[in-house]
Amino acid sequence: MNAAIPKLSLRNVTKTFPVKGGSVNVLNKLSFDVYDQDFVSIIGPSGCGKSTVFNIIAGLMHPDEGEIRMDGEVVNGLRGKVGYMLQKDMLFPWRTVLENVVLGLEVRGTPLKETKEIAMEYIYTYGLAGFEHAYPKALSGGMKQRVALIRTLIYDPQVILLDEPFSALDYQTRLYLEGVLVEAVETFKKTVILVTHDIDEAVALSKRVVVLSSRPGCVKAVHEISLSQRSPIESRSDPHFSEYFHTLCAELDIQTKAGS
Amino acid sequence: MEEILARQLTDGQNIQRFRKLLTPQKKATAVTIAIQLGMVVAFLLVWQFAVDQKWVSAFLVGSPAGIFSKLLVAVNNGSLWVDTKITVGEAIAGFLIGSLAGSFLGLSLWYSAFFARVVEPFIVAINSVPKIAFAPIVILWFGTGMVSKIMLATSMTFIIALIAAYEAAKNADKDLLSLMLALGSTKHQLFFKVVVPYSLPAIIATFRINIGFGLVGAVVGEFISSSHGLGHMIFSASSYYDLDTVWIGLFTLMLVGFMLYYVVDRVEQYLLPWKQADSGQHLRV
Repeated sequence: MNAAIPKLSLRNVTKTFPVKGGSVNVLNKLSFDVYDQDFVSIIGPSGCGKSTVFNIIAGLMHPDEGEIRMDGEVVNGLRGKVGYMLQKDMLFPWRTVLENVVLGLEVRGTPLKETKEIAMEYIYTYGLAGFEHAYPKALSGGMKQRVALIRTLIYDPQVILLDEPFSALDYQTRLYLEGVLVEAVETFKKTVILVTHDIDEAVALSKRVVVLSSRPGCVKAVHEISLSQRSPIESRSDPHFSEYFHTLCAELDIQTKAGS
Repeated sequence: MEEILARQLTDGQNIQRFRKLLTPQKKATAVTIAIQLGMVVAFLLVWQFAVDQKWVSAFLVGSPAGIFSKLLVAVNNGSLWVDTKITVGEAIAGFLIGSLAGSFLGLSLWYSAFFARVVEPFIVAINSVPKIAFAPIVILWFGTGMVSKIMLATSMTFIIALIAAYEAAKNADKDLLSLMLALGSTKHQLFFKVVVPYSLPAIIATFRINIGFGLVGAVVGEFISSSHGLGHMIFSASSYYDLDTVWIGLFTLMLVGFMLYYVVDRVEQYLLPWKQADSGQHLRV
């Protein structure tokens, strides 16, 4: 696995934000790799710069130092090549489900005529048939997040960035959407980076978990997760699940003690 | 005989059908309107009664009967219609020019934060002057005809629309903008796909306010110098202590403002269908 060129690699990424009367060093020489069709979770204590990593990869912020490589080449962020999902559904309230789903393709310049059919297919597959002309206002939280997921998948991005995408949902809906996500990622052979504070979710979904230290964030450890089951519900009953869970918990706990 | 029977039958069915048409919502609306009309009638009756009893002076407050007889004259000789047309025309023209140009400029300030910073103090300065104070200059520049009233209505509405549109554009949802940028959007796409639709509700809300200001501009312009229009009608009538005619002018303005408000309402429903969509669940309080 390590022999292959990483899909995405961060090298010594450092970011400092100016604040009143000084500056805050958020990321300090952060380096990690993501391989093709990898599913990497980033966990860490709150305020460790998880979302900053996310914004730097998406190309919304520039690192002060360090570089990002994609398929071995230095890039200036992955603008136009990433799918992007946050805790907020970020649906456009003035667009119908169908119009929201095709947003990424529209930005890319594909005319609606060409995308409508495939969009309808996705909408049907993910159980939103009949809602294609509804506005987001009329949908439940889980449905909205499903629309956001379709919007991300249909765009066919090189890397999918997820920043706590399900943390605002109830547990049942979350389990269901985790399943949908894992299945979709397998089917479409996607590379995923998931930022989460939910250790449980990180273990259940990922192939690898990157643990960040408290601020300034740098990689503290990378754990390979190998569970026999990939579905989020079954993986939780894997005998090794709690082992991984406790290892990661312990790692985060030590940091909180050291930090305080 | 059979024919009559048959007709009665269908009549009966029609009544049945009519009853079915009266859904609870429609009934509630009908009751609301009936109460509102009743209040207006009661107000007019009390007013007339108070004048008849000499509790208040008809000379100083006018009277519904006097208003009605003057109204008949003004309607019959067509002068009310002409005055209304002129004032409404001025107000609408000024409103459209001011609101559209203001909104357009306000939105486009989003494109350059630098330019926006440069002009911001000037906008604030102009806005802090009561716009009506421009009236004498506007009339000097544009004469005493309709153009000066249109310009006055424009100046009343322009800055308000500009500030509202600029504020709304500035506050466009950062997360949606980030998402668009991550998807590789250009600045142009950001503007048309996020900033404009995001600002539209605020812009249209300002239209609602501006419709009133358009009328203010037209009427005040007519107060200052004019030979036609509702403002002229009110102003000249009041100088003869003809309160009945003043009321006709005021009520007509009220009615016009009311109707224009509903026009904006319909425009809003047409432009913002996503604002209307709701789940149909209403809370019982």
